[in-house]
Amino acid sequence: MMTIVLTALQYLGYILIFPGFLFCFVIGMLLCGIDRKIVARMQKRVGPPVLQPFYDFFKLCGKETIIPAAASKTTFLAAPLVGLAALVVLQLFIPIHGFSAFSGMADIIVILYLLLIPAMAAMLGGAASGSPYAGIGLSREMVTIIACELPLVMVLLAVGKVVGGDAVTFSFSKIANYQLANGSLITHASLIPAAIAMLLIIPGETGNHPFDTAEAETEICEGLLAEYSGAPLAVYKLTHCVKVLTLTSFFAALFLGGIGTGIVVVDALILVAICIVLTIVSISFVHAITARLKIEQVFKFYWTIVTGLALISLVLAWYGL
Amino acid sequence: MFKKLIEESTAKSPWLFHINAGSCNGCDIELVSVLTPRYDAERLGFKLTGTPRHADIVVVTGPVTSQSLPRVLRAISQVPEPRCIVTMGSCPQSGNVFRGSYSVAGPLSKYVHVDVDVAGCAPKPEAVIDGLALATQILKEKRAKK
Amino acid sequence: MDLPFVKEAISQLFSKTSCAMYPAVPSEAAPGYRGRIVYHPDRCIACGMCERVCSGNAITRTVEKVEEGDKITLTFNLGSCTFCATCADFCSKDAIELTGDYHMVATKEEDLLVSGTFIKKPPVKKAPAAAPKADAAAKPGTEPDAPGCSIAPRDDGKPVCDKTKCVYCTLCAKKCPQGAIEVDRAEKTWNCDYEACVACGVCATVCPKKAIEM
Repeated sequence: MMTIVLTALQYLGYILIFPGFLFCFVIGMLLCGIDRKIVARMQKRVGPPVLQPFYDFFKLCGKETIIPAAASKTTFLAAPLVGLAALVVLQLFIPIHGFSAFSGMADIIVILYLLLIPAMAAMLGGAASGSPYAGIGLSREMVTIIACELPLVMVLLAVGKVVGGDAVTFSFSKIANYQLANGSLITHASLIPAAIAMLLIIPGETGNHPFDTAEAETEICEGLLAEYSGAPLAVYKLTHCVKVLTLTSFFAALFLGGIGTGIVVVDALILVAICIVLTIVSISFVHAITARLKIEQVFKFYWTIVTGLALISLVLAWYGL
Repeated sequence: MFKKLIEESTAKSPWLFHINAGSCNGCDIELVSVLTPRYDAERLGFKLTGTPRHADIVVVTGPVTSQSLPRVLRAISQVPEPRCIVTMGSCPQSGNVFRGSYSVAGPLSKYVHVDVDVAGCAPKPEAVIDGLALATQILKEKRAKK
Repeated sequence: MDLPFVKEAISQLFSKTSCAMYPAVPSEAAPGYRGRIVYHPDRCIACGMCERVCSGNAITRTVEKVEEGDKITLTFNLGSCTFCATCADFCSKDAIELTGDYHMVATKEEDLLVSGTFIKKPPVKKAPAAAPKADAAAKPGTEPDAPGCSIAPRDDGKPVCDKTKCVYCTLCAKKCPQGAIEVDRAEKTWNCDYEACVACGVCATVCPKKAIEM
C-alpha cells in the first residue's frame, strides 16, 4: 500500500515538478527570455530583461478575458489547455541522459503525434473564435505543419536507421542507450545533414521567425490568436515557450545524447545549457538575420532545402556510412 | 502575493496597440522610432501588438476623422481591462490644424476617457517614452484598484 | 536564399548597443528644437498678431476690465500647437519663446496650457496733442516737407505716416493686427485709430517706402 502511494506521489512529482509542468514552465520561459535578449543584442538593442516572458505571462493572467460573441465558448477556452497539456506530457517522454520519467511507455511515433496536438489545439481554438483572421492563420498553420512534418519524419527515419541497423528503430530508450555506448549521434558523419535539417525545423515547429506566417501580427493581426485575451492568451504564450524547450530537448535527445554524468540534477542542468545554445543558434540567430517569409516560401523552403538535407542523411544512413 | 506579482508584471509588460485615426503619419513614424535600436522601448517591456485584444495601452494618433471615429471606438472597446488610452500629438487632443474641418469628429476626449496626453507635433521619441511610462503607472494603479 | 546580415548579427552580438537608454540617461533636445512655449507677459503689448498667424488656433486672448486698465490673458494650448514658431517669429516684442523642453506629457488637458496675464494701462490722455500730430506740416519746430526727415515721431511710440513718401499701398492696414489703420487708395488718406493702436511697429516694418515712423 505504502509503495503504491509513494509511486503515485513520485509520478505526480514527475508530472507536476521535474520533467513536467514546473520545469517546462520555468525553463521554457527562460529560453524565450534569452531568445528575445539575444535577438535584441544581435539587432544592436539592449533588449527586454531575461524574465520578460514571466512578466508577460503574469500580466496576461491579470487581464480581462473577452469571449467573442461568435465564438464557441468551450472549445475556445479548452483549446489552449489541451495544447499545453500535450506538450508537458511530451516532455515527460524525452530522456535526459538515460533518465526518463516514463521510459518504455512511448517512442518517437507518439512524440510525433504529441507534437501535432498543440498546433491542432491552436487551430481548433482559432477556428472556434470565429474571426476571419484566425481563419487565414489556421490555413497557414496547417501548411506550416505539413511543410515541417515531412522533413521531421525523414530525420527520424535516418536516426532510427543508424541506431537500429537492419531494423529501423523508433524507440527512445534504444537511441539513448546507443548514444551512451557509442557517443553522440551528431558525431556520426551521415547524420550531420539531418541535424542541420532538424535545427531548421525547430523555428518552423515553434512558429518563430521567419516561419511565423500563421501568427503574422502585422498582416493578419496575430492570426490564430487574434481573438484571445487574458489568461487563455497567457496559456498560448506559455505553450509557445514550452514548445521551444520541448523541441530543443528533443534535438538534444536525438543528436546530443550521451553527454552527461548520470546524476539527474547535473544532467538536467547540462540539458538546459544545451537547450540555451540550441535556442540561440536555431531560433535567435535565424530570427535576427531574416524577415518573415510568405507561406508558399515556407512550404518551398521545407520541401526542398530541409527535405533535401534530411534525404541526404537518410540515403547515407541506408548505405551505412 | 499573486496579486502583487500581477501588479508588478502589469507595469513591466505593457503592450501597445496603435490606431491611426487620420494622422499625417508624422506621429506614427515617431511611435515606431521608439522601438528602434536607438530608443528601444522593448527594454522597458513595450511591444507592438497586431490586435487590440492583446493590448494594454492604446495609442491614438490623428485628429479622429468622422470616417475613422466608429472604428476607433470599436477598437478601443475590444481592449480588455485594465486598459489605458494615450493620445499622441496635438491632433487627437484638439484637432490641431484640422480643427473645424467638415470631416473631423475629434477631439477624442469627447467620446472616451483619455488617460495621458502627449503633446508635440510630432512629439520627440523621448516624450513618447515619458508618456508611455506614465501610462504604465496608471495601468498599474487601475490593476491595483480591481 | 539571400542572407546579407549573418556577419552583422554575429559582430553586433559582441559589440556595444546603440541604445540611448533614455529615462536613465537624460537627453537634451537638439539646438533649435521647438518645444514648450514660454510666454513673457511683461513684454507683450497684446497686439494680437500671434493669435492671427497661429495655424492651430492654439492661442486665445481674453480681456477683462479692471480698475487699473485692461487685464489681458493670453493662453497657449500646447495640445493644439504645431510648434511651427510662427507666433514667435511674428511677435515684434519677442514675448513668445519656444524652448527645448519637450516633456509635454499630461493626464489632464489643463496641464498643457501655458498662460500669462498682464494689466494694460489705458493711454494717458494728453489733451490737444494727439490729433494734429499726424499731420507733419502742422507741427511747429520741424521743417515742413523736408526730404529725409519729414515727420516727427510721436512721443507715445505710435505710428505716423509721411504723406510725401506714402504710396497708399494699404499694406500697413492689412498687416495691422488691431485693424487700426485705414487707408483709402482713391482718396489718398491715411488714418490711424490711436485708441486701438498698440504700437507694435508692424506697419513701420512692412512699409515698402519706409513712410511710417514710430
